[in-house]
Parts: sequence; structure tokens; C-alpha cells
Amino acid sequence: MDLNFTAEELAFRQEIRQWVAASLPPDISHKVRHALRLSRDDLQRWAKILGKKGWLGWGWPQQFGGPGWNAIQKHLFEEECALACAPRVVPFGPVMVAPVIMAFGNAEQQKRFLPGIASGEVWWSQGYSEPNSGSDLASVKCRAERRGDTYLVNGQKTWTTLGQYGEWIFCLVRTSSEGKPQMGISFLLIDMKSPGVSVRPIVLMDGEPEVNEVFFDNVEVPAENLIGEENKGWTYAKHLLSHERTNIADVNRAKRELERLKRMAKAEGVWSDARFRDQIALLEVDVVALEMMVLRVLSAEKSGKQSLDVAGLLKIRGSEIQQRYTELMMLAAGPLATPFVFEAMEAGWQGNLVSPPELMATASTYFNFRKTTIYGGSNEVQRNIVSQTVLGA
Amino acid sequence: MDFDFTEDQQSLRDAVQRWVEKGFGFERRHALAKAGGATRAVYTELAELGLSGLAVPEAHGGLGQGPVEAMVVSEELGRGLVNAPYTAAALMAPVLLSAAPSAVQAEWLPRMASGEALVVPALQERAARYRLNQVATRATAQGDTWHLEGGKCVVPAGDEADAWIVPARISGAESDTQGIGLFIVQRSAGQITAYPTQDGARAADLQLKGADASLITQDGFALLQQAVDIGIAAQCAEAVGLMEKLVAITVEYMNTRKQFGSTLASFQALRHRIADVKMQLELGRSMSYFASLKLGDPPVQRRRAVSQARVQLGQSMRYVGQQCIQLHGGIGCTDDYIASHYFKRLTMLELSLGDSLHHLGEVSALMQDTAGVFA
Repeated sequence: MDLNFTAEELAFRQEIRQWVAASLPPDISHKVRHALRLSRDDLQRWAKILGKKGWLGWGWPQQFGGPGWNAIQKHLFEEECALACAPRVVPFGPVMVAPVIMAFGNAEQQKRFLPGIASGEVWWSQGYSEPNSGSDLASVKCRAERRGDTYLVNGQKTWTTLGQYGEWIFCLVRTSSEGKPQMGISFLLIDMKSPGVSVRPIVLMDGEPEVNEVFFDNVEVPAENLIGEENKGWTYAKHLLSHERTNIADVNRAKRELERLKRMAKAEGVWSDARFRDQIALLEVDVVALEMMVLRVLSAEKSGKQSLDVAGLLKIRGSEIQQRYTELMMLAAGPLATPFVFEAMEAGWQGNLVSPPELMATASTYFNFRKTTIYGGSNEVQRNIVSQTVLGA
Repeated sequence: MDFDFTEDQQSLRDAVQRWVEKGFGFERRHALAKAGGATRAVYTELAELGLSGLAVPEAHGGLGQGPVEAMVVSEELGRGLVNAPYTAAALMAPVLLSAAPSAVQAEWLPRMASGEALVVPALQERAARYRLNQVATRATAQGDTWHLEGGKCVVPAGDEADAWIVPARISGAESDTQGIGLFIVQRSAGQITAYPTQDGARAADLQLKGADASLITQDGFALLQQAVDIGIAAQCAEAVGLMEKLVAITVEYMNTRKQFGSTLASFQALRHRIADVKMQLELGRSMSYFASLKLGDPPVQRRRAVSQARVQLGQSMRYVGQQCIQLHGGIGCTDDYIASHYFKRLTMLELSLGDSLHHLGEVSALMQDTAGVFA
């Protein structure tokens, strides 16, 4: 047992740290540091910088053009990016669909899609949820009918994050209604410029059109865009979700935001209030415990000696912590969190309110973050999964 | 970064497990508890396994093992619900003696390593609660000998011990960190009132009326903190063992007990509860590792880490204990059934060496600008 990183790992961290410091545009990190609004251009600029270095697919093996890092190295990379206030990489391409294409796509599909994902050129979206398929994802109804060399797709996806920017979308579509619902699902890649695709934004309670409805009206999709076998899509989707959950715990961002919470509490005069400060101390314990749990998973992954089935726990705990720090930030801001000035979230806004944008943003973020215990498999669904492991049935 | 156990650590674990399976069933424990909670015989059996010398330096006949080995043993003693003053006598006392003159070390450490002598710290005073600097018992020197005046309470296995390690004030006000001496006091030098404890063991109050004492060190506060941190880390590990076994007992019950025609395990309200229990167990285990692996850090980092771990374990112990009783229903509340004994041990653990609120105060006071495992 050893809590310390090896000398090589520390050197690796140093290399990443220096590169991020030199490469991350300050106007972008400024927005992340102060929770201001990030534009499509901000997100894609950073993605392309990473792509050029070969690190946008930081979890990829070398055979697909990735750096081939082990679990610890990937973690250190994510940590350095988070602590330097880099934007979170939009995960749909490099973190979600790419591993599925690598594991289940054919050579042709790998050659066609992976380079655009690795470089950050192509914006991918996720087409999973539907109006009547939330937690019960296996009940998806969006239909794909095989007509010769094409699929004809009809139906609707929803909660598509940043889908307004999407160029391609990976979808779970129904190709059969026989057998168990899981059996008739296929994994299809769809060009969002195809005739019949339309996107309608959904404004969330913080006023931001962060998610979208995506409609498919007789959309023709070449059959060569099917990943793996028809009706096996559920297996591929589960593979994807297992990648999503460790990512979703996001302990590195939690550390950064906890540090921000402390600065905010000092500036707003609640740091010296023992009742408030104890709440921060409790959150700090939660964050350290989550980080230790993450490190245990990484170490097990690296050594291969033990298997730790705690992905569901990481998702539950990580999301609860994310909600808690946004809540405490809002409480630290107090009455100054009340103004709702949409344009104040833009960098360079010149207003003369008493509330600085950073304090106004705390309430918006608090509202926005209610999503974290709902998406990626709601925490209640996660508890179902955890209980299955614990009870063995 | 490595959380695997070595083969030696694994065989140490196996050895303790084998002893528990063969020699320390629930019936024996229950009988011992009912007979007043004497633990010396059990401690002697642990000594025969070499465990009393685990933390004693090899030069004094011990095994000279480190925090991870202590953690492994403590987890297994917890899992087996073993009543013995192991943390106090085998893990805390040797480190307190490390500052003693070599003659005092030579007198006690080899016999402690072999288990022939049982020596426990006597830390608690009526008004001290968990503050180690709050020491009213006074020490005065007459030539080469010291005499102690005062009292200690709730000393684990206090009446079974051959000697106690007693903090006593040499100078300063009642809550100064300076001027706290550490002394070794033979059992015959004090007056003892002994009693059973809630968790089936035994403790004692000591009255010291000019009791003869040998000096370990005149400035013992830092060492006291270190010994208590070692004790807390061991208790965290013991709690992990206790929780793991209690959860296993509860899972088995949920899979067999039927109500409304179905097993308890089929009801979603109860399934979600056991998922939350599992969460607290894994967070607790993570922080138990954290505490043990930080014991070698400089004092401030060690202090902060151990208190952080204790806050987590305090929450985990209470939640897991309470919910596992609840999930059992009425049977969980009975004295004949094993679950209640795990619950009581978990509960009493939190009340020694600092409860969650005390350690939350420590975390709060020691908080710095940065956060996380490596802060």
C-alpha cells in the first residue's frame, strides 16, 4: 500500500501541468474560473488545441492514435486540466462514442469517424433519452426500418446536451419489437445535416438552452452507419455508460470548486462563522473520501489484482457533492445571489450592480446542477444497480 | 499509488481470521460479556499469535510492523467482534513508551511484546472529553521518584492491566499543551473501580493518591497526539471490519426473511437503504486507508488526515449500525442476536478518542486553502 505517486507519475504530472499552462487560452480559463458562460467557440477552441497535441482522446489506446496512458496517467491529466480551469471536454465524441466505435465498429467506420473526433473538428451529440424513455432507457421507440442499403429513422430524442451545435449524433434506435425490449435496440450514427433532422432547444431553469429535442422525420441513414450488429445496441450502450460513470464523478472539478467555495466564503465573511465553516469542513471530508475511492478504483485498474465494482457509488457520491458545493456557494453569496441578469454571465459585461457576476452565477449554477443526480442514470437507478451487486439478486 | 496488500499482509490477515473462526465465536464472546467482560485471556491468545508485539520494535522483541499491518489486524479483530484492548495495549502503548529512558523501555517493551505484561494508556478525565491538553491530574517529583495526584476514568481493561500510561501535569494551567508529562504507573499504585462496558468489555476508573510513577517524558503532548492518531486509525480499521461483517449478516437476513410473501431483498425501499449502507461502508474503508497511510506524515498533515477520516468513519459507523438494525426489524433489537452486538461496538467506538463532532471541529480548524487527498 502506498498513497504516493511514483517519481515517473510526478514527472508526468509536471509535464502535463506545464503544457496546460502554456496552451490553455487565458480568456477561456478566466470564464471557467468565474463560472461565466462558455461559447461553442470556447469549447471547440480548447478541444482543437488538445486535438492537435493528440490529447483530446486522452483515454484512447495508441493503436487508435491516443497516448496509450494507464488509469493513473489519465487521472493526472484530467486533474491538471481541471485545476488549471480548462473547460470540461464535451464528452460525447472522445469519451462516449469513440470507445464504442473502437470496440464494436468495423475498420472502415474507425477510419472514417475517429480522426474527426480526435482532432475536435466534428461535434458529436448523444441521442439516448426520449420523452417516454428516461430512466427506463430500454423502452426507446425511435424507429429505424431497414430499406435496402438505408435505415429510415422516425421518432424523437430529447435532453440532447448542446445538440444545437451537433454535427453527428449517436442514437439508440428500435429495429425490432420482438423479445425483451433490450433485444431490439441498435446503435446508429446519424449525420445531423440529413434531411428530416430538426433540433429544438429546451430552456432549463437557469435560462440556458443547454439541452435540445431532436426530431427525426423520415431520415435516411446509410446502413453502413450501423455500429456492430443490428439489435445488439443495448450491449454497446452499456459499455458506453460504464465509461461515463467514472468520468461523471468528476472529483477533480470538485476539488477546484471547493477551493473556490473557500475563497468565496472568506470574501463574503462567512468563513469565520463556525456554523458555516463546519459545513465546508464536512464537504471537504466528503471530497477527500470520494477522491480516495476514485484512487482505489484507479489503482485496482492499474494493478489488475482486485476488482472494484463501485461505479454506481462514484456516480451517486460525485453528483451529490457537485450539488452540495453549488448549494454552499449560493448560501455564501446569500442575498447577492438573487439578481438574475442573463447578460452578466458573458465575459466583459459592464454592469453596475452590487452583486458581481460570480455571485449571481452561484444561484444559476445551483439550479442547473439539479441535473447531476438525474442524468447518466438517475441516482435512484444507480441505487437499484448497487443493491443488485450487494444483495446478489 | 497502490492499494494492494502484500503476501505477508495477506497471510497476517489469514492468521487472525483463522484464530477468530476457531477460537472466538459469538457464543464465547457473549459468555465473556455476560461474565463481566474480562479480556485478558483473549489478549493472551492474541499474544500467542505474536500480535501483541506487532508494533513493538524488533530490538525489544517485537515485530516492528507498520500502520498497514496494524490496519489489517484491526480490520479482522473488528470483523470477529473480538473483545480485547488491542488498540490501546498493542498499538498505542508502545509508541508512548518510545520516549522513555532506555531502562524503562527495556523493563516494559519486551514483556509487552510477548503479552506477559498488559499496559494501557489511561487518558480520560471527568471534564476532559476528547481534549488531550485538558489534564488535571498532577505530577510532582521527590528526588528521582514521581508521585501522581488525581484520577482517570473509563480506562480500557483498566483493572486487568499490569500498568497504565498516565498523562499528568507537571506545570502550567489545566489546559496548557506544555507541561504534560507521561508516566508509567503500576496497577498496585492506584485504587481501581472496574465495571463492564456497553460493548461487552471492561473498563475502570483509577484514583491516584500520591501514586508512585516512573517518568516517560516531561513533555508528552506531541507524543500523546501521535499515539491517539495511531489509535484512531486502528479504530477506523476496526470499524471497517465491524461494518463489513454487519452488512454481510444483514444481507443474508434480507435474502431469507420473508414478509408479504417475498424476501425483504425484493422491496425497493429496503434495497435502496442497503445501497446507501454500502456507500457508507466504502467511503469508510477509503478513509480508513487514508488515515493509516497518513500516519507517517508530519504532525499537522497527520492530524488533519486522521480527523478527516474519523469524521467519515463516525458518520459511516452510525449510519451502517442504525440501518442494519432497522433492516432486521425486531430481531435486530434483541440481545441474543449478533447484530445488536456489532451495533453496540460500533457505537462505543465513536465515543472513545473523539466523536464526529469533535473531529469535525479539528478539520474545520485545520482547513487550508487547498483541498483533497494531496492538499
